[in-house]
Amino acid sequence: MREAGATEYVVRFSFWARFQHATVILLFGALLVTGMPQKWPYLDASRWVIDSLGGIFAVRWLHRAAGIALSGLFAAHLAGAVTGVVTRRSQPSMLLARKDFRDAVDNLRYYVGRAETPPRFGRFDYRQKFEYWGLIFGAAIMALSGFILYFPIFFSRVLPAELIPAAKVMHSNEALLAFLIVLIWHMAGAHLTPESFPMDTSIFTGKIRKDKLRREHALEYDERFGGQ
Amino acid sequence: MTRRGGATTGGIAVTLALAVGLLAGISAAQQPAESVAQCLGCHDDPQLSLTLKDGSVMSLYVDPREFARSVHGSQLVCTDCHAQYAQDHPSGATFPTKRAYVIAAYETCKKCHFDTYTRTLESVHYELVKGGLDSAPVCTNCHGAHNIQNPHEKRAMVSRSCATCHQAVYERYARSVHGKALVEEGNQDVPACADCHTHHQIEQPGTKRFRLGSPEICIRCHADERRMAKYSISTTVAQTYLSDFHGVTASLTRAAASAASQRVVVTCVDCHGAHDMASPRLKGQAAMKATVAATCAKCHADASPDFPAAWLSHYEPSLRHAPLVFLVGLFYKIFIPFVVIGLVLHLLLHLYRVSAGR
Repeated sequence: MREAGATEYVVRFSFWARFQHATVILLFGALLVTGMPQKWPYLDASRWVIDSLGGIFAVRWLHRAAGIALSGLFAAHLAGAVTGVVTRRSQPSMLLARKDFRDAVDNLRYYVGRAETPPRFGRFDYRQKFEYWGLIFGAAIMALSGFILYFPIFFSRVLPAELIPAAKVMHSNEALLAFLIVLIWHMAGAHLTPESFPMDTSIFTGKIRKDKLRREHALEYDERFGGQ
Repeated sequence: MTRRGGATTGGIAVTLALAVGLLAGISAAQQPAESVAQCLGCHDDPQLSLTLKDGSVMSLYVDPREFARSVHGSQLVCTDCHAQYAQDHPSGATFPTKRAYVIAAYETCKKCHFDTYTRTLESVHYELVKGGLDSAPVCTNCHGAHNIQNPHEKRAMVSRSCATCHQAVYERYARSVHGKALVEEGNQDVPACADCHTHHQIEQPGTKRFRLGSPEICIRCHADERRMAKYSISTTVAQTYLSDFHGVTASLTRAAASAASQRVVVTCVDCHGAHDMASPRLKGQAAMKATVAATCAKCHADASPDFPAAWLSHYEPSLRHAPLVFLVGLFYKIFIPFVVIGLVLHLLLHLYRVSAGR
């Protein structure tokens, strides 16, 4: 039951957005592979990974290198987003608005059969926005606690030293949370849902099918191609 | 000489003597004692000695009471060990030095103590014996010859016999919390030298392998709830070390046996000392803090006096010890399931709606 525009694609993501997504996949993956065995060092599987990567010192080095790289990307992303908005070259389309919370409630009402239609979403729906802000805060926590753990001597001079073991607990748990969110929410929610199965390719190709845009981001579609 | 041959003949002789003794209604123990008495007939003379080939004089005196009190006194007769003197006696002068005699004689121990003897062959002491070092110990150097005591009953003696060669280490040990308790109080819970270094298969200490394995030695007692309860010592020392950065590094490095720098691997002994460990509790809170800070500074040169707070001092985080760490952990214990259940529910509702049809 394909509507008009079923084979017509429109550009949705810039090269910079696609580059960031691909880099996050790479670095997040590297951080998981080198980080999780450090969270559970006494599992056989962890030992296997650590040995395969050249021992715990190599694993820690790789983890820190990937952490620095991802922190750099994170800083570049924030700088890009802020300058984009300031120079009016892009819109702050990820900012949370009251509508997003209303959308969440309305969408849940639709799920349980209390509403006839789902809410009409803009460029990003509330699920994407929540995940984005989760990623932003998560990345901030991970980078901050990560650098505290990287330079404990320095940080114990400027801050209470108990922050260092606290940062370790935070880093380790936040990592687990991030992993679970990416697994459950992002992989299953963004790629494996019936609408997108087996995967939503638009963040990789930068393009989206016009009818899919209309269905999933009705307000953005109206803005770009005129309302119905 | 009434007894001839080795242990087997001796064993048969004892069995025969037992049978005869039982039949005759006399104590069987008298039979071997008679043989000892025969040897002691000459060897109880403190002046009895022998000049060896190198010109040194070796005493041949055996204190009869000392031998009787030894663990072997009621079990063995002289020729069980000195089988070669059952015939053609005396013949000691064929040895060039006293050491040569000891080396030739000590192997007789393996006739009965084969397993322990075999273990010594893998020890650092045996390496030295093999290398020709005259001061390297063989069985009799640690256990004595005619005055052998049960080392399980007289543990303090174990450490004292190590002191024969390792005097400086022994003195440090004797002043430590372990050594004091053993030497001064006869406390049987604390380790003597051999409890950490093992009795016979003594490994070369100071190697990377030994260092990385050392936590296992400490944990053997310090994770023992019953033993530690007597002294109100926490048994979480082991698991808190193993979950700590230092402990993880040590155990992972050991498993990998990589060429990683030894300096960065911190084991129990790096903070607590190996032979001179002191009880941190005896000095009071402030002194303890300063000691810990000084210990951290051994490796973390720029560490501030507050740096020890970066370490949980072997405590599990709780509201009393490290409340911040505890609360962060508690937050995630609640927050992670909350988020995960929420996300899964949302996802399931989505699937339910799709499958129910729009």
